[in-house]
Amino acid sequence: MLKGFGNFLLKELKELIRDPKILLAMVIVPLIMFPILGAIMNFSMTSAMETAGKTTALVINNDSEDNSTQFIRYLNISIRVFPISVSNVNEALGLLAQYNATEIIEIPSNFSQCINAKQKAVVKVYSTFSGGGMFEGIGASIIDVSIEQFNRDVAPDVVVPEKAVIIKGQVVEGVDPRTLSSLMLSQAIAMPITIMILLSYSMQIAATSVAMEKEEKTLETLLTLPMDRFAILMGKLSGSIIVAAIGAVAYMVGFNYYMSSFMATVPLGANVDLVSLGLVPSLLGYLLLGLSLFVTLLSALALAVIVSAFAEDVRSAQAIVGNIYPLIFIPSLLLMYLDVNALPIALRIFIYAIPFSHPIIAAKAVTMGDNLTAALGVVYVAAFTIVIMYLASRLFATEKILTAKLRFKGLRRRRKAVAEEIS
Amino acid sequence: MSFAVEAKNVVKVFGIIHALDGLTFNVNQGEIFGLIGPNGAGKTTALRIVSTLLLPTSGTVKVFDLDVVKNADEVRRIITYLPEEAGAYRNLSGWEYLQFMANFNTKSKREAQEMVREAAEITGLHERLRDKTKTYSKGMKRRLLVARALMTKPKLAVLDEPTSGLDVLHAYHVREIIKRYVKEHGVTVLLSSHNMLEVEHLCDRVALLNKGKIVAEGKPQELKEAYKSTNLEEVFAKVVGLA
Repeated sequence: MLKGFGNFLLKELKELIRDPKILLAMVIVPLIMFPILGAIMNFSMTSAMETAGKTTALVINNDSEDNSTQFIRYLNISIRVFPISVSNVNEALGLLAQYNATEIIEIPSNFSQCINAKQKAVVKVYSTFSGGGMFEGIGASIIDVSIEQFNRDVAPDVVVPEKAVIIKGQVVEGVDPRTLSSLMLSQAIAMPITIMILLSYSMQIAATSVAMEKEEKTLETLLTLPMDRFAILMGKLSGSIIVAAIGAVAYMVGFNYYMSSFMATVPLGANVDLVSLGLVPSLLGYLLLGLSLFVTLLSALALAVIVSAFAEDVRSAQAIVGNIYPLIFIPSLLLMYLDVNALPIALRIFIYAIPFSHPIIAAKAVTMGDNLTAALGVVYVAAFTIVIMYLASRLFATEKILTAKLRFKGLRRRRKAVAEEIS
Repeated sequence: MSFAVEAKNVVKVFGIIHALDGLTFNVNQGEIFGLIGPNGAGKTTALRIVSTLLLPTSGTVKVFDLDVVKNADEVRRIITYLPEEAGAYRNLSGWEYLQFMANFNTKSKREAQEMVREAAEITGLHERLRDKTKTYSKGMKRRLLVARALMTKPKLAVLDEPTSGLDVLHAYHVREIIKRYVKEHGVTVLLSSHNMLEVEHLCDRVALLNKGKIVAEGKPQELKEAYKSTNLEEVFAKVVGLA
C-alpha cells in the first residue's frame, strides 16, 4: 500500500526545507510575524479601551442646584469631567483641545426643577467625530451608560440625552454619533482591507511575472533585444497594475456587497447624510486619494520586481515577496482600530515611514477634509517610489538582473553555485 | 575589413572564480565560428559578454567595431542571441511569439510580416505555429527559437548550444537552417557547443576553450592535421594533455 510514499515524502521535505527562501517565508517569518501581529492587535484593543476609559467631557452647567451637581458626580465615575463657564456651546468648542476633551455635555437651567418634578430633563451631549477608527463613538456610549445609571437611581427616563456631533469643529444637531460611527465603519474597515489585498495581490503578480521570465529562460533573450531596458521594467509594472486594478475592482464590488449585508442590520438614522455632514472627500481629496493609491501601488510593484530579481524561479519569488507582507498587514490592521495620531510617537514614526500606510491615512484624512496630510503622504510615497524605481531601473540596466541571487549558503556552496552558473 | 567579433584579453570573475582568464579570439565576417569545450570551460560566459548580457571584468570585446560595454545599445541592434535552453512565452502561439519579436526590430508592419513569414518557413512548423508554444516539443521549440534568432538577418547571430538536447533529426534540421542562412544572407555566426563532432561539420573555424582560455584555434581540418587526430575530440584531449 502506497509503495514508495515514505521515500518520496522524504525527498519532498528535503527539497522544501533546504530551500532557504521557502524556509524563511514559511517558517521564520510567520514565527516572527504572528507574534508581532498579535502584539499589535493587543495594543490596538488596549489602546482603544484606554482611550474609552479616558473619555473627557466639558460640562456646561446652566443649573445651579444640587441635582446637577449630583448628575456630574455620576458622570465623573466613568469619565473625566471638567466643568466650564461659557455662555454657549460654540465657546466650549474652542476649549476642547485645551482640555484634550472629545465630549461636551450641556445641562439645562431647569435640570433640578425637572428632576424634582420627575419630569424629563433634556441634556445635550455633543460628541467629536474625527474618523478615528472602529472604536470612535465609545465615549458617547459611556455617557449614555452613566445617564442610565443616574436614571435608575433617581427616576426612570428622567434624564434624556439629546445627541449632536461635532464635525470639523462645527456642531451638527440631530445626529447620533454611534449611528455615524456605524455608518463610517465600512470605510474604516474597507480601506485597510482593500490595501492589504490589492498590494499583496499585485506584488505577487509582479514578482511572478519577473520570475517567470527567469524560469522560462526568456529574460536573457529579452535583454539582448534592441529595446530600452527601462521599457521592460515599465511593461512589467504596467501589466501588473492593470491586472491588479481589474482584480481590485472585482474585489471592491464583492466587498461592497459583503459590507452591505452587514449595513442592512445597522439602524441608520434617516437624517444621517454623509454628504451634507461634509464626511465625503472633496474632488481634490478624491484626487489625492487616487494619487496616494497609485504611487503606493507603483512603489510596491517596483519593490516586488527588485526582490523577485533575486529569485531563480516563481516559487522562490513568491516566497521572497511574502517577506514584505508584514509591512502591509501591520499598518492596515493597526489603522483599522486606531487613529494614527493617537499612537505613541515611536510607533507613529514607524507607521508613517511605511509607504503602504499612506493610502489608509489619506482615506481618513481626506474624509475629514485634511487634504494636507494626504498631500504630504503622496509626496513622501512618491519620493520613496522614485528611489525604488531608480534602483529597479539600475538592476535592469546591469548584469545584476541575471546574476543576482540571495545567498544563504557558505562559501564552499557558493563556489559550486558560481561554477554551475558559468558552465 | 574589420572583424565581426574581436575579443582581447577578456577576464570575467564571479566572486573567487575566474570564468574567463585572458580570452582572445577573432571572428571573421560571414563565417561560422565555434567556441568548443567541456562544461564549465566558460563558453556561455564568453557568449553572454559578446551579447551585452554580462560585463567583462577586464579586456575588451568589439562587435563590428562597436564596444560591447560602451556601445551596448548599438550592438544589440545588429546581433541576435539564442541562449542555451531558452524558452518561448508559454501562452503565446508560435505566430504571436515571432510577431512579438519582429516588432522590436522594425516599425514597418510590412517588414515585420515579412520577417515572420520567413521565420515560419525556417521553422517548418506550418499549422502548428497557431498553437501555444507550451504544446511544442523541445525540438519544435528550438526550431522556433533558431528561426527567431535568424529572421531579422542580424549581422551577428550568437547561438549558445543551438542543438543542445535535440534528437538527431531535429539537430540536423537546425544545423541545416544555420548553414543555409549564413550562405544566403551573409550572417556571421558565433556558436558554442560541447559536441565537437557536430561543430566539426558546421563551423568554418573553431576555438578550443578550457578553463577560460583558448587552447587551440583554427579550421577543423588544420587542427586535426596539426595534432594528427581523426576528429576534434582527439585534438582537444591532446591539447589539454589527456591523451
